[in-house]
Amino acid sequence: MPEVLESQIHARAPARGWRFNLVLQRLGLVAVILLVWWLLSLRVPHYVLPGPARVWDALTLISANGNLWQDLGITLGRVGTGFILATLVGLPLGIIFGANKRLGEFFEPIIPVMNTVSSAIWATFAIIWFGVSNATTVFVVFMTAMPLIITNVWQGTRTVNADFIELAHVLRMPARRVMMKIYLPTILPYFFSGARLAFGFGWRVSLVAETLGSSSGVGYRLRQAADLIQTDQVFAWTLTLVVMMAILEMGILRPLENYLFRWKKEAEGS
Amino acid sequence: MTAATAAVPAAASTESGAIAVRGVSKWFNTAEGTPLQVLDNINLTIAAQSVVAILGASGCGKSTLLNIISGIVTPERGEICINGITAGRFSEWRSVSYMFQEDRLLPWRTTIKNVEFALETGNMPRSERESRARDALKLVGLEAFVDAFPYQLSGGMRSRVALARSLVQEPCILLMDEPFSRLDALTRAQMHEELLQIQQLKKMTIVFVTHDVEEAVVLADRVVVMAPRPGRIRDIVEIALSRPRDATEPATARLAHDLKSLI
Ligand SMILES: Nc1ncnc2c1ncn2[C@@H]1O[C@H](COP(=O)(O)OP(=O)(O)OP(=O)(O)O)[C@@H](O)[C@H]1O
Ligand SMILES: [Mg+2]
Repeated sequence: MPEVLESQIHARAPARGWRFNLVLQRLGLVAVILLVWWLLSLRVPHYVLPGPARVWDALTLISANGNLWQDLGITLGRVGTGFILATLVGLPLGIIFGANKRLGEFFEPIIPVMNTVSSAIWATFAIIWFGVSNATTVFVVFMTAMPLIITNVWQGTRTVNADFIELAHVLRMPARRVMMKIYLPTILPYFFSGARLAFGFGWRVSLVAETLGSSSGVGYRLRQAADLIQTDQVFAWTLTLVVMMAILEMGILRPLENYLFRWKKEAEGS
Repeated sequence: MTAATAAVPAAASTESGAIAVRGVSKWFNTAEGTPLQVLDNINLTIAAQSVVAILGASGCGKSTLLNIISGIVTPERGEICINGITAGRFSEWRSVSYMFQEDRLLPWRTTIKNVEFALETGNMPRSERESRARDALKLVGLEAFVDAFPYQLSGGMRSRVALARSLVQEPCILLMDEPFSRLDALTRAQMHEELLQIQQLKKMTIVFVTHDVEEAVVLADRVVVMAPRPGRIRDIVEIALSRPRDATEPATARLAHDLKSLI
């Protein structure tokens, strides 16, 4: 009988040394960027390109007076709300359009149209409809994220394997369980990549929406700082966003994805 | 091993595990529009607790016949009776298990979770599902791989997982479509022995499709030979050899040789 050592089957995580190496590489990259930044800032006025030290000062200032955490929280709350609404609407619609060919064919043209409408246009409409309020940003995030989620989930439902459905059918499994045990796991990777895309986009457009129609949040602060030519604060806010997205990606999304989709065969050499 | 009774007495068709196929014909729609007849007037009675092999060329409708018996495909003509009840009114489908030609393992489930899948229709407690799945996997020699994902298994191992999944529900009727075609000769012989033991123990009726004449002769009480286009029964051969059988014995080899000339 063919035998493979069981330990080999679980040997998926990269070796410790390799991971350590990667951390070193990343740190090196950050150091190079800081160095180039610093050298460049020496040659131009600080309101064009403030140096790292100045930006650090601005960062401590806005975090000390409470703006940083408060506005970050506000923006995150709006993005989160828009994103959750987009999921609540997009996930069922994607499944329905995927499962029902007629409906799918009928509504298909709407998705690319919605995807091509610029978020600035959604923001303009939102200001007309909702004025300067939370709803404006939430709406823009929602309108941007929802088509992305629908498209991905829709695509996922199309890949459901008919053989697996037949297997469940032979076992006389009730429809609801088939949904949970076969449809959902098949769709999940598609939903995940759609959601990740939608969250990234939502985050970016939320800033646009906030600069136009809001009196709080990171986008508002960015415009305020730009108006007062406080370039160091613009940099400080930008830096905060970059760091936050990196933490979200590497600290939450990547590990979650690795865990959820550990059953996927990795392509050789990736 | 106990010597099995070779000839099964003609059982009353209401006995648990008995199958009757009456005048079944099946057509499939084709792209050209003219329906393709795949099965033509199949008549077959399968006694409870017997082992029946279906032999025939590729494309002669063997899988389709199993699909019809399992109730997932309805024939245009004729009917299926299980335990003397027509398929439309039969409700004990949980006692019928079907091992497909492809392994159909869910890629996102580990080996043991894949086996448990067969028990997830009802409301069996999780711990019982797990212990039964573990036993089934031990039976097919995969207890070391309970937590592996399908992509980590070889083709032969995958079909053994599928076998475990079809055995775990302890069926009265086991339908198998080329169950051992991906196993090496040694493992296959082992599986044959295991299967016959389980069949004796659990009083199962087994209907299996194979391309391997020796396999049919070693396992089956009766061999149904099918002819293609449209699929029909060419001959039914009783195998009255005593058990356990060995493919290398002269009597077995001679029967296999005779069967080959029929196909
Ligand atoms: N769903 C379907 N739609 C249309 N034609 C089908 C369908 N399923 C099977 N057929 C046709 O029916 C015929 C018999 O198919 P079947 O799978 O039953 O053959 P088989 O005897 O199991 O062959 P093999 O030994 O290669 O598995 C084939 O000609 C096939 O093209
Ligand atoms: Mg077949």
